[in-house]
Amino acid sequence: MKVHTSSKLRKEFIKKWVKGLQICCSLKKNMDILERKKKIKLCADIALASTKNETTLWSIALISDAKKDDENKILVDNLLGPESRFKPRMTNRQMIACHKRVRSKKILKKSRHVCQKMKKMGPPKSNLAAYIAKTLVKRRTQVLKRLVPGGESMDEFSLIKEALDYVLSLRIQVDVMRTLANANEVLNQSDSKIID
Amino acid sequence: MNKGEELGMETFQFGEEIQSLMAVVQPPEAGNSFTALLELPANQAVKLLHSPDETAPTNLPSSVFPSAENSLETTTSSVVPNSSPNNINLVKQEPIDSDSMHNSSPNPSDPVVSKSTKRKERETNVKSSAKKIKSVANDDGEELPYVHVRARRGQATDSHSLAERARREKINARMKLLQELVPGCNKISGTAMVLDEIINHVQSLQRQVEFLSMRLAAVHPNIDINLDNIFSAESGSLMDCSFPGMVSPQPLSHQLWQPDGLTPQPLWGVEETNPNFITPENSFLSYDSSGNSVSLYTNQLKMEL
Repeated sequence: MKVHTSSKLRKEFIKKWVKGLQICCSLKKNMDILERKKKIKLCADIALASTKNETTLWSIALISDAKKDDENKILVDNLLGPESRFKPRMTNRQMIACHKRVRSKKILKKSRHVCQKMKKMGPPKSNLAAYIAKTLVKRRTQVLKRLVPGGESMDEFSLIKEALDYVLSLRIQVDVMRTLANANEVLNQSDSKIID
Repeated sequence: MNKGEELGMETFQFGEEIQSLMAVVQPPEAGNSFTALLELPANQAVKLLHSPDETAPTNLPSSVFPSAENSLETTTSSVVPNSSPNNINLVKQEPIDSDSMHNSSPNPSDPVVSKSTKRKERETNVKSSAKKIKSVANDDGEELPYVHVRARRGQATDSHSLAERARREKINARMKLLQELVPGCNKISGTAMVLDEIINHVQSLQRQVEFLSMRLAAVHPNIDINLDNIFSAESGSLMDCSFPGMVSPQPLSHQLWQPDGLTPQPLWGVEETNPNFITPENSFLSYDSSGNSVSLYTNQLKMEL
């Protein structure tokens, strides 16, 4: 059953990806390699996120991030078509305010932690290992938050679930792209053989 | 040199401590020795309480648990003033828990445990009756080893730490899921290391995407990629190959390509260019499910040539 659903997802992904690329191509011709790469990746990401149909946070975040860029916006809208339910969640000003809030919260948290640490200077040694473990875990969850799209605004618990889903989708994406790239290579080789 | 050695030894000890702690962080189901001592008499007493009285008022929260397990709706509708906050909190926890399979299994064992822990709480926490709302409801996510901690501290921070621990339970359950997903994580114990592996995995996948998109960009001068180029190169005898995956994608392919205006054609035995569009698409897609695409492609090309 798992193979079945993943092949469905793959097909959906390919279809959307190709469609996005066609739109890109029609919008602008003659891009250099870096631009092409960016467009390819962008289309792949958007296609991947759209296969989720807004059920996961990371897909929503991915698409709204893509929409922030004005030049991408047209592409995204065209790609997702009339069924596009994604709306930019916040305006720019709201986002700046949100960032400020987040940052001030972080500063508060840090100062509180530092105060607590100063108070706790003579705790029983048995807590030290726990403390170390906690800091390690915290560091890593921070890194994970940065990696998963939209992770900053997730609590730890949903972060893990989103990461799970994201890993699965990423795997599909990588798989599809890799088969395509390999197929291209093989074809090029066979072409050269024919010519020779 | 001595100091360096000392430092080395210290870090080594810390590493060991960390490792041991990591092992402990995973909720041990069996419980430690002194909690076992605490638990056994309480458990038996609770079981005795449980079996005769199904409708006794002290057992109301226990009746809440099975209903909470079964459906969310019934818990919200049950009207018991004392335990209604419990219901609300349980309902809050349930939607989160309903996703992961793991949480369903610890639940049956929890009522017994949480009964005993709750009794202890009521004995010791007379003061925090207002906070009991949250603490009682969170008991079903409790782990055995922490019983003694709760019994001692009848303070306002109690509900806080309880909520924390319920949280950790859920997080650990999900971490287990992640462990199974990411390759090579099964042997690692400890949240931090597992997170490390997950981070590495995600980073490597993202890097692969970047790399592959660069590769594809290099191959295609116009990014109107893919299928046109590939399928024009092949002259259409791909249908002859009996590929197991081909049969299943067929109905989907019709749906796929219909919006593009191509008429759906049967998969087998058509020589025109349109089905070339469809059938190689099928074969391409079915290659995905095989995972052995390159060798298959070369085989097919050899067949043709």
